[in-house]
Amino acid sequence: MMFLAIRELKHSKLRYLLIGLIMVLVALLVFIISGLANGLSSDNASSIQNMKADYFVMEHDSKNKLNRSIISMEKLDEIQAISDVKAAEGLGQMMITLNKIGSSEKTDVTIFATDASGILAPKVIEGTSYDNKKQGEVVADRSLKEVGYKLGDSLKDDLSGKVLTIVGFTEKQSYSHTPAVYMNVKGWQEINPGLKNQGKDSISAIAVQLDSKSEENVRESLPEGVTLISKEESLQSIPGFKEEQGTLTMMIAFLFVIAAFVLAVFFYVITLQKTNQFGVLKALGANTGYLAKSIVGQVMLLAVTCIAISVALTYGVTLIMPEGMPFELSADLVIKYSVLLLAVSVLGSLLSLYRVAKIDAIEAIGRVS
Amino acid sequence: MMGDKLLFENVSKVYGEGDNKVIALDDISLNVRAGEFVAIVGPSGSGKSTFLSIAGALLSPSKGRLLLNGEDITTLSPKELTRVRLEKIGFVFQSSNLVPYLSVRDQLLLLSELIGKRDKTTVKKADELLSHLGLGHRADHLPEALSGGERQRVAIARSLMNDPEIILADEPTASLDSKRGRDVVEMLAHEVKSRNKAAIMVTHDERMLDLCDRVVNITDGKVFG
Repeated sequence: MMFLAIRELKHSKLRYLLIGLIMVLVALLVFIISGLANGLSSDNASSIQNMKADYFVMEHDSKNKLNRSIISMEKLDEIQAISDVKAAEGLGQMMITLNKIGSSEKTDVTIFATDASGILAPKVIEGTSYDNKKQGEVVADRSLKEVGYKLGDSLKDDLSGKVLTIVGFTEKQSYSHTPAVYMNVKGWQEINPGLKNQGKDSISAIAVQLDSKSEENVRESLPEGVTLISKEESLQSIPGFKEEQGTLTMMIAFLFVIAAFVLAVFFYVITLQKTNQFGVLKALGANTGYLAKSIVGQVMLLAVTCIAISVALTYGVTLIMPEGMPFELSADLVIKYSVLLLAVSVLGSLLSLYRVAKIDAIEAIGRVS
Repeated sequence: MMGDKLLFENVSKVYGEGDNKVIALDDISLNVRAGEFVAIVGPSGSGKSTFLSIAGALLSPSKGRLLLNGEDITTLSPKELTRVRLEKIGFVFQSSNLVPYLSVRDQLLLLSELIGKRDKTTVKKADELLSHLGLGHRADHLPEALSGGERQRVAIARSLMNDPEIILADEPTASLDSKRGRDVVEMLAHEVKSRNKAAIMVTHDERMLDLCDRVVNITDGKVFG
């Protein structure tokens, strides 16, 4: 089956090298953009993605946006009382700018407020967790450490004038491209200007764990003025998340279409060029199946080689990427996209197979090549 | 009759229908015996190519029967005809039509590959055929490195590779000068005799006819001689 395929590849090296180069570049772009999409998605929403919650209860008019939602703390008890809810926990959220005391450095962060021993509490990888009673203790994402913050550093919130102290670090906690900083609910209410002035005991949302089967039951049992949204819906409403992911996903989709077309056109033109040759081969006794396998074999050999080179190059590129670049590529995703690229390559060769099937052996007779 | 390699029985070929009907072959009967080398001559458009296409199992006749080595091949499916071409018919085309990216040896081995048994014995057979036809030193060359005469000799070697019943040559001297053309036809005639094969050569090169056992003239789809 590969008798003709391999000999032709060897003979027409330049031709196949050029198409191979295009394939390598397209595949490389697919891997890099999907790594970037993944990285940006984490950078934008890892706090929500990694939260041990399936749904959020938010204020009815908040348009699914955490920063717009305010729910009174009493609702937490009502939600917990619903029979299908396995667990529920209050969550406060707010974006602030922190000033490192003793320096002019400012950092934008997203504050998450929750019970230090509840289901939403971050996993501390260094230092200790914050105290539910003590004011001003926070657990910050590791990315703050990477830009120079240490345990025990004090940070001042510009707006409220409150001072926060880093007592621990967590990881993979990021929201809207800012590092997440966890603290207790009381402290959060203190620095939230709206709540502080009103003196109300409120939170932004309530995270709940429940089976997707019981979603409807819970929805019907909800108290007045709140709504139940899935984690996925809340991700989509993070500012810029949908737009960012949509753009990158569209680019990846186009790359797949481009890969299919480039290969389809290349092999089709080559097949047209070889019409007479295929006619002779058929006259000699080659059946269409044999010739089809030969073409598909060629395409697969080329695609597998190019994809393998691209994967190697992609990992090479990650090594020289600047620190802090939001890039995340899992082996799962690489395998998934590799298989998909191989599939569109083979799809692209179908046009040539159709052409070969139509070539009549009789073209070999009475003709000068 | 015993010894009949190829037998045309009242074969007709009609293209088109109604007013556009063209009779390419009109009730042709002809037999070619083992060891016989038959030339087909005739003006352009006389039906030579149609005749050769039918003889080569590339085209089905409209009427009549075609027997190859005693087997009626007019009733076979296209798939079976492909198999018949591969195993029982050797082709030598105009300007050889070798596969450009295969070495001379691989041109021959392709036939073994297609038939499904490419191994050490077929490599040996290919090398023997090539040295027999004076191409031993060219086995690893590509067609582009060969002269026109050498290419046609490779085509003859290729046509013999699967040990066919009959060899069909379509204007094998068309792209050669008369000296080289004659060498090629002599070689073909010699191989046909020594291997006791049957051969049909379509040609309009009158100077080659003395090398053939019989000359058949086709004019307007009818056979003379």
